[in-house]
Amino acid sequence: MIRHFKFVAFFFLLFFLIANKTFAESSYVLPYPSRMPGSLSYKIHLIYENVSKYWHFGNFGQFEYNLKMADKYLVQAKTLFDYKQHLLGFDSLKKSNYYFNEILPSLNRAEKESKNISPKKSVLRKASRKHIEYLEKIDVDTPDIFIWEPEKSSPTTLLLKKILMDSINIRKDSL
Amino acid sequence: MKNFIIFLYILFLSILTVFSYAFLDPNITALKKLFIDFAFDQRVFTTIFYISLVVIFFIFYGIFLWLGIRKKIHAKDVIRLTAITVIVLFFSYPVMLSYDILNYIATSKVLFFYQENPYVIMPIEIAGDSLFSFMHAANKVALYGPFWVLITGIPHFLGFGNLLLTLYSFKIFIAIFYLGTAFIIWKISKNIIPVILFSLNPLIAIETLVSGHNDIVMIFLALFSFFLLTKKKVFIAVLFFILSIFIKYSTILLIPVFLYALWKIVKKKEINWKTIFYFSAFCMLAGFLLSPLREEIYSWYAIWFLPFVFLIPDKKILLYVSVSLSFGLLFRHVPYMFSGTHAGLTPLFKSIVTFVPASLVLLYFIYKKLWEKIYSR
Repeated sequence: MIRHFKFVAFFFLLFFLIANKTFAESSYVLPYPSRMPGSLSYKIHLIYENVSKYWHFGNFGQFEYNLKMADKYLVQAKTLFDYKQHLLGFDSLKKSNYYFNEILPSLNRAEKESKNISPKKSVLRKASRKHIEYLEKIDVDTPDIFIWEPEKSSPTTLLLKKILMDSINIRKDSL
Repeated sequence: MKNFIIFLYILFLSILTVFSYAFLDPNITALKKLFIDFAFDQRVFTTIFYISLVVIFFIFYGIFLWLGIRKKIHAKDVIRLTAITVIVLFFSYPVMLSYDILNYIATSKVLFFYQENPYVIMPIEIAGDSLFSFMHAANKVALYGPFWVLITGIPHFLGFGNLLLTLYSFKIFIAIFYLGTAFIIWKISKNIIPVILFSLNPLIAIETLVSGHNDIVMIFLALFSFFLLTKKKVFIAVLFFILSIFIKYSTILLIPVFLYALWKIVKKKEINWKTIFYFSAFCMLAGFLLSPLREEIYSWYAIWFLPFVFLIPDKKILLYVSVSLSFGLLFRHVPYMFSGTHAGLTPLFKSIVTFVPASLVLLYFIYKKLWEKIYSR
């Protein structure tokens, strides 16, 4: 009987250990990678993206827009880093950070308009956690520094580690 | 005699108006004192009473049509009857059969009060607003066209932030388009029969003047654009036609007919407007019958084709089938009213009550035609 109890207790313990690990991840879902830079259709897509900013008027609208863009460019950055397109990935991450930095001010403005922002803040916290998980994954497979040497112009040093750490810190501020 | 019928009609409309408050939502705090939880508690009585009211309404409809055909009532009487219908039903409770009017109010509030894009932000995302807690489509972005969302600013601002005032501002707003449609039907037909057919039709009156559905706005703009075409005012007609599409999109189905009429005008050819309205009725009827592809057939969707059918009353089969369809459609509310659920047998019963009257009328005409053919041999 005691042997059986130990057996069951062991599996319970194991389950909770594994389960805890799973629950630590954010339930927030990032989008699929969208169009990648380099084509004509991507340039058209950028125009659509800029027009879309005005469609998302209002502070909650801006919250949605900036979060959507921050998500999109983060996923784009990871895809580009995976394919060793470090310069493009670097630019995408900068864009993701730019949009992420715009999220909180839009929520603060909404709060000044007496809107209840707590559900949006909760979404932002979940998104930040997911972004950090994602950035940590990128960090594992990305070099700290990358020197980009184009054929016809001078080389550029990309401080990849630094931008990744900055990106994580920006998101930690929203937790 | 005529005055006595009108008196009975006023009495009937008043009973319908009072009955509508049996469906009161306790969340509308301004009317909480009137809340008796009747419709949801006494379902059998409510259902029988509602069925009786619909039948009586159609009896009045038949009487007025008969008086109109016999030339016992004239244009002035029709104006009086229409005005009575509008005034009495204005006081009815609009959330009796549908929550749509609350959705209109919510969408306009998202845009004009919270200054958010209703096509991006769902009402439910604005936490803490009591209105959004009990309406039925708070988890959806704006469902209607941009012109509709834009013009709802008028009743929104006339409501001064008070739900009750906004609710009745919307009702007045919708009633204006109902009157406008009746006027356009009169201007096009110059005959009181199409006006009686339209303005005193129980389905149109209940779904427009009680529930405040915006379909009438879309149809008014479409009919007005056709009216402008009859006057050869092409540019403004096109403008109003586009505005009609941007109310609820359904009039997009009229594009082929509208373009055909436009082409005829540009080519300076004569137009048979009866044919135009006949095909318009069929296009909108097709949209009505195809609506289950999107969601389901709602009774107020009949407003899409009925005004066109009423403009060509000499097309007897189409007219009788449409009127009987409008009769059956008002009973679509009955299965839910009785059972309190949209599941189970409710959808089946909804389909049965919708199509049985129209099918019987159609069968009668087929039988009559066949009989005439056999007899003529």
